[in-house]
Amino acid sequence: MIRIRHFLLVLVAILATWNSWAQVAFKAEAPLLVSLNERVRVEFSINEEPDGDNTFQAPTFEGFNILAGPSVSTGMGMQWINGHQTISYNRTYTFILKPLSAGKHTIGSASIMVDGKRYNTKSIILEVIDEGSKVNNAPSQQGGARDTHQKDPQTSKPDKRVEPTVSSDDIFLMLSVSDKEVYKGEALRATLMLYTRVGYPDIRGFDLPVFNDFWTQELQSLNERSRAEYNGRVYDTYKLSEYVIAPQRTGDLTISPAELDVAIQVVTQDNSNQGFFYGSRKVSVVNRKLRSAPVAIKVLEFPEGAPASFNGAVGSFSLTAKAPEAEMSANSSNEISVTISGSGNLKFVTAPRLKLPDSFELYDTKVRDNITTTASGASGSITYSYPFVVRAAGEYYIEPIVFSYFDLETKQYKTLATEPFVLTVTGDGSVAEGAKSQDRVYAEYGGRMKQLDRDIRFIHTGALPVHSLSFFILSPLYWLLMVLFVAIFIVIYVVMRKRIRENRNIVARRMRQADKVAVQRLRMAQRSMVEGRRHAFYEEMLRAMWGYISDKFNIPLSNLTKETIREELYRRGVSAADAEQFCQIISRSDEAQYAPSTDSDMGEVYDDAVAVISKIEDVIKR
Amino acid sequence: MSIINNIKRVSAVVLALLSLTVAYATDSKVEAAAEWQRGLDAYSNGEYGAARDAWERVAQLGPAGAELYYNLANAYYRLGQQSDAPFANGELGRAVLNYRRALRLNPSDADARYNLDIAVDHTNDAESLPQGVISSMWTAVRGTMSSNGWAIASVVQFIMALVLTLIYLLSNTIVLRKVAFFVVVLLVVAFIFSTIFAISERVLSSDSQEAVVVCNSTTPVHASPDNGSKIIRQPSQGVTVKVLRSHGEWSEVEFADGEKGWIPSSIIELV
Repeated sequence: MIRIRHFLLVLVAILATWNSWAQVAFKAEAPLLVSLNERVRVEFSINEEPDGDNTFQAPTFEGFNILAGPSVSTGMGMQWINGHQTISYNRTYTFILKPLSAGKHTIGSASIMVDGKRYNTKSIILEVIDEGSKVNNAPSQQGGARDTHQKDPQTSKPDKRVEPTVSSDDIFLMLSVSDKEVYKGEALRATLMLYTRVGYPDIRGFDLPVFNDFWTQELQSLNERSRAEYNGRVYDTYKLSEYVIAPQRTGDLTISPAELDVAIQVVTQDNSNQGFFYGSRKVSVVNRKLRSAPVAIKVLEFPEGAPASFNGAVGSFSLTAKAPEAEMSANSSNEISVTISGSGNLKFVTAPRLKLPDSFELYDTKVRDNITTTASGASGSITYSYPFVVRAAGEYYIEPIVFSYFDLETKQYKTLATEPFVLTVTGDGSVAEGAKSQDRVYAEYGGRMKQLDRDIRFIHTGALPVHSLSFFILSPLYWLLMVLFVAIFIVIYVVMRKRIRENRNIVARRMRQADKVAVQRLRMAQRSMVEGRRHAFYEEMLRAMWGYISDKFNIPLSNLTKETIREELYRRGVSAADAEQFCQIISRSDEAQYAPSTDSDMGEVYDDAVAVISKIEDVIKR
Repeated sequence: MSIINNIKRVSAVVLALLSLTVAYATDSKVEAAAEWQRGLDAYSNGEYGAARDAWERVAQLGPAGAELYYNLANAYYRLGQQSDAPFANGELGRAVLNYRRALRLNPSDADARYNLDIAVDHTNDAESLPQGVISSMWTAVRGTMSSNGWAIASVVQFIMALVLTLIYLLSNTIVLRKVAFFVVVLLVVAFIFSTIFAISERVLSSDSQEAVVVCNSTTPVHASPDNGSKIIRQPSQGVTVKVLRSHGEWSEVEFADGEKGWIPSSIIELV
């Protein structure tokens, strides 16, 4: 058993030396910022067994009183990680100091011997701050405003009974940003810090700050602890979270505050129990809601004169391009790609515009990015590939791709451009030769056809046209003209009123009464027939027939011939036979008027006439 | 006697006033004509910036006509084309604005329509959705003549309609009456359309709600007149919008595709 233990010890010792051979580290540790009435703990630690404590040489602590030390402590640990064994050794020399005066004090280097070699620590510069009459660590008796009570002697009596309250001076949240005046898209860092003089509190609830109108990315943040001075007092600080933010619009933006519910343990000297428990310590818990102040950030407009290719990129970039294959055949695909690399708001960079000649068809741009976000903003690269197909053979010149950004260093726009590309496209035989050159070239953009090779027409030349902006429509002249002509119309109407009425009446009556008149005349003819007056009969017959047509069709008698009658009847849908019969009756009457004839002829003519007129009347009325 | 004296005095005053206005008018007219000529020369020599300045001055001096706006638009277009980064300073927006102004004053200006079409092709936004057949026919027919042309046409049609009505009433020849009646009906229809065209062109040209985005700015369109509100889209220069109302320094506009939003009034200019 003893042997085995020995063996193990030796093994441990060997392993320990092995592991630490590579690096002997002798370090000094002290808070960099202390208050004048605070005790300072300075530690010198070595990770290797020294040749003896007497080889340790402490520096002279100028400006400090040594309250205690050096106290020596040794620690040893063993660790297995994934089967790998680590043994750590640590020897620490600790001093407790009290600063004598405010200001910067240097703690010089300490030294120690390991294996006959002397190791030195680096010297440390310690800043001592005089907090005035403020008592260290003790919570302020009165909460509330921080500056007014700072120098109040009432609060600086350490041994009096102290209420278990925590002043807003002793613990607060602060959201700090790296810059308060930025351009749109410029990245800045926002850090949420807890400042405390009462130790690390127990966090019960957490409301993150709200970054409206900001692009936000939270960084990996450890609860990084450090010390800082604020308003002449020394605080322990804890970094709670850290963000990279970039404003997305211009104007005055506000980051709404973060909130933290904490429970703080306060140790007080309880002096109230006079007697046996005099001077006992009491631990009480104070609940507090901490709120950071809202932060206003002014986002500046970009200056005037942005180039056309500027699309809101901010930072510092470079542009490289991969040219397409210089020779290709028509109707095959090719690709141009550009890479924008650098730092800035890469995530918001849009693809630069590629202007292709007319017979090129551009397809959807492919985007690949490789962007990392660190405390200083986003950086990396973004690559745009423009695939295209050329439809016609020829030599082509492709204009350079232009990318502009706003340089934050110089506060100026910078425009980057690639080299122009030259492309030779050979025919693939499938495109008709005639179609390539003279035809108008159309291309489709965003769903609509555009004719591409047009140019604007020339200006108007000649003398400056005298321009009157007056409108004729609804102008006084317009109304005057209208009223004038209406008046003329009315006058003519009034003057001719009688004739118009007559006109209308005569025509209408004649038309309406044509058949009645005809019937009347036929009746008279019939009377003549009965009385045996041949001449009178045929006269009446002719008058009835001519008159009927004249009245019915409103044609003056003088204009009537048999031809016109035939035409008129035919036009009104009377059959050719009836029209012919009508004309024949007229002819027979004409002949019979002066020629001797038998009585029976009169009756026949009369019956025929009545029959044909009633037929015509039927057709026309319909 | 006193009446005659009074008349003399009044006429003297009127004469003096008339000569004053004439003198003033001729003064600015002479300058405008000189600037106009300077612009023509500069444009011909390819000095588009100088041409633009000269014509802008003419526009300031007096009421500008369609020809002036057309030339001014051409100068802006060429100026924008000329620069290294085409249309970087909002020239395209100004060109579109002035073509539209020219067309507002003279809708039958074929050159302005052609050039506007080209300028609009350079804007990034889809300018407008295809119009309906009837709507585009309406605009096309209306655009063939100016307001005054339509007004004269309407007066002529009115007079002809009256004359033919008289012929209809007085004639006793049926054919003539029927023809007259038919033509009167046609003339009344034509008169109604001509009058509507003339009035609508007058209304369009004197009270425009159209505006053009003139800045090459990255200012987005918001959902409400407030910088903090939701961003709807990014207008590009040269896009024509319809102004619905304004509120403070903001204007509510409607895009060709029917989308509405608020933009700062400073980046648009009424046609």
